[in-house]
Amino acid sequence: MTYTFKIQGQIYKVNLEEDEKNTHVEIDGKKIPVEFQRIDNNLYSVISEGKSLSLGILKNGKKIHIFHDGDLYEFEAVSERERTRVSASESGVQEIKSPMPSRVVKVLKNLGEEVKVGDGVIVVEAMKMESELKSTIGGKVIDVKVEEGDAVESGTVLLIVSSE
Amino acid sequence: MFNKILIANRGEIAVRIIRACKELGIETVAVYSDADRSSLHVALANEAYNIGPPPPSDSYLSKEKIIKVAKKSGAEAIHPGFGFLAENESFAEMCEEEGIVFIGPSSQSIRLMGDKVTARRIAQDANVPLVPGSDGAVSDVEAGVTAKKIGYPIMIKASAGGGGKGMRFVRNEQDFESSLRMARSEARSSFGDDSVYIEKFIERPRHVEIQLIGDSYGNVLHLFERECSIQRRHQKVIEEAPSCAISQKTRKKMGEVAVRIAKTVSYRGAGTIEFIMDQKGNYYFLEMNTRIQVEHPVTEMITGLDIVKWMIKVAAGEKLPLKQKDIKMNGHAIECRVYAEDPEMNFIPSPGRLVYVKAPSGPGIRDDSSIYTGSEITPFYDPMISKLIVWADTRESAINRMISALKEYIVLGVKTNIGFLLRVMQNEEFRKGDIDTAFIERHPELLKPPTMDIESALVAAALAMRNSDNESEMIGLKPVSNWKLFSRKLGVTRYNML
Repeated sequence: MTYTFKIQGQIYKVNLEEDEKNTHVEIDGKKIPVEFQRIDNNLYSVISEGKSLSLGILKNGKKIHIFHDGDLYEFEAVSERERTRVSASESGVQEIKSPMPSRVVKVLKNLGEEVKVGDGVIVVEAMKMESELKSTIGGKVIDVKVEEGDAVESGTVLLIVSSE
Repeated sequence: MFNKILIANRGEIAVRIIRACKELGIETVAVYSDADRSSLHVALANEAYNIGPPPPSDSYLSKEKIIKVAKKSGAEAIHPGFGFLAENESFAEMCEEEGIVFIGPSSQSIRLMGDKVTARRIAQDANVPLVPGSDGAVSDVEAGVTAKKIGYPIMIKASAGGGGKGMRFVRNEQDFESSLRMARSEARSSFGDDSVYIEKFIERPRHVEIQLIGDSYGNVLHLFERECSIQRRHQKVIEEAPSCAISQKTRKKMGEVAVRIAKTVSYRGAGTIEFIMDQKGNYYFLEMNTRIQVEHPVTEMITGLDIVKWMIKVAAGEKLPLKQKDIKMNGHAIECRVYAEDPEMNFIPSPGRLVYVKAPSGPGIRDDSSIYTGSEITPFYDPMISKLIVWADTRESAINRMISALKEYIVLGVKTNIGFLLRVMQNEEFRKGDIDTAFIERHPELLKPPTMDIESALVAAALAMRNSDNESEMIGLKPVSNWKLFSRKLGVTRYNML
């Protein structure tokens, strides 16, 4: 079975072959013998060429979460159709989104205002903590979609900065 | 001794207190909000009562509801844990009036030490060194004048504050106005009081605190110090005992100073005097916390004492069983607070369902938590997953034990700070004990996970895909037949088909 993954913008093709005795994983033409055992619900033991690894694995839709040595690594499974239209270009527009359900405390940069790289543009509050969201590009505020006091969902676009 | 205690808290501290009660043969009463019906503290207590909707102001902060449950259940005492009502003098007063024992200091001690301005005055009268700053709460204008007089950098702090809320660091005069506004607004929303005071900022300070315990007969003991210099957002994440920065002589001196402050307010129960220490080893009184603290386990590990049980005993009128000379410390303990948060996104909380959890174990490892596979980190409360505590004979071996334990920890479903904690433990400066409260800010490289070995990663990803046929299994849910669900509906008549 062949799978395609996207990791940090990079595309990888992986072939998993299983017969009664052995399992091989083929990555970019290189065959790696692996033996794996499920230990607990989401916990796997993997042995490959004598090296033993324990991994927490969770698949959630197209997202694959792998937990190893304290860190979480996120992958995306890519279907053939999507593969042809990846590599989205970085345009000079940044949408400032709410990272979690929160309340808008203060809009720091109003419509038309100049924004420098790293400038705080809006303050949101969640769990009694205020966070200043920053712009990673320089430019102008071209849209402010919320007002102070608004309750917003995770991922809501709050404000848009454009470098044009 | 009490027969029944109500625990006015949730999460791991509620579980910690329930366990102490069980060992003492005391019945326990849990209270819970709508968001916490499936929490562990509810399941472990002998009795449990719903006290309202998820927001703390409607449940865990509702003094009337909690007192009502105490009376209804016949609890003779209330343990407030930390946070919520733990340092609320009017709640302690209500308990006193209703004839319920508040497991902690008297409402008067809370009033005196809880207000930071009064606390500073008390410390000053007891000849304890203080950080230069404003004399109490200040207006916007006075704040600016004081800041200029003592010189930047400065700190703005909420008078009613704690836990880093309503606190702002100001590097120069330019940032002063906006920082003052943010501090006031945060103080208002967190404590309902926007008064703030100004303090000189100490460069590269260490945070060292003394654990105290007092009884109702004027006896106060200190259980040595804890160092809590590793902080993010001015909140502690890693604590240890003892501190590697102080000598036996300073330890003794600081202990005596702390005991002296506590005695002036006839302190009963567990409390902590926090000090800020500069690079030369000068220490200044910061504040007193009139409650049990999150990091109390590290002190328990090096002294072999159970602080929560002692709190209950002294509240019941018992005398402290030991004298200062009987209290000894042994080895080194470290606590890591494991949070559902994203270190790469300025430690923003990452609430969600814990799809899978596996906690470490082994000699010298203690995991104080209230979570389990399938439990939820809700956006309503502190996103702590657990407190991982280790003990070993030396600091170095304790660090190595912590590394091994953190590597065993597995959490799926939310982002965590485990990898970050691991990198702190492996950092050379941390290992040498060269730390201060700005350690994390100075080491942004610790926030980012290392790149995973791509081959192992791809093997794991392929495994995940291979098993995606039974996706329900991967996310920890067993498939249930729709026929079965239908049959469980109310009003569906079941016939035995013979």
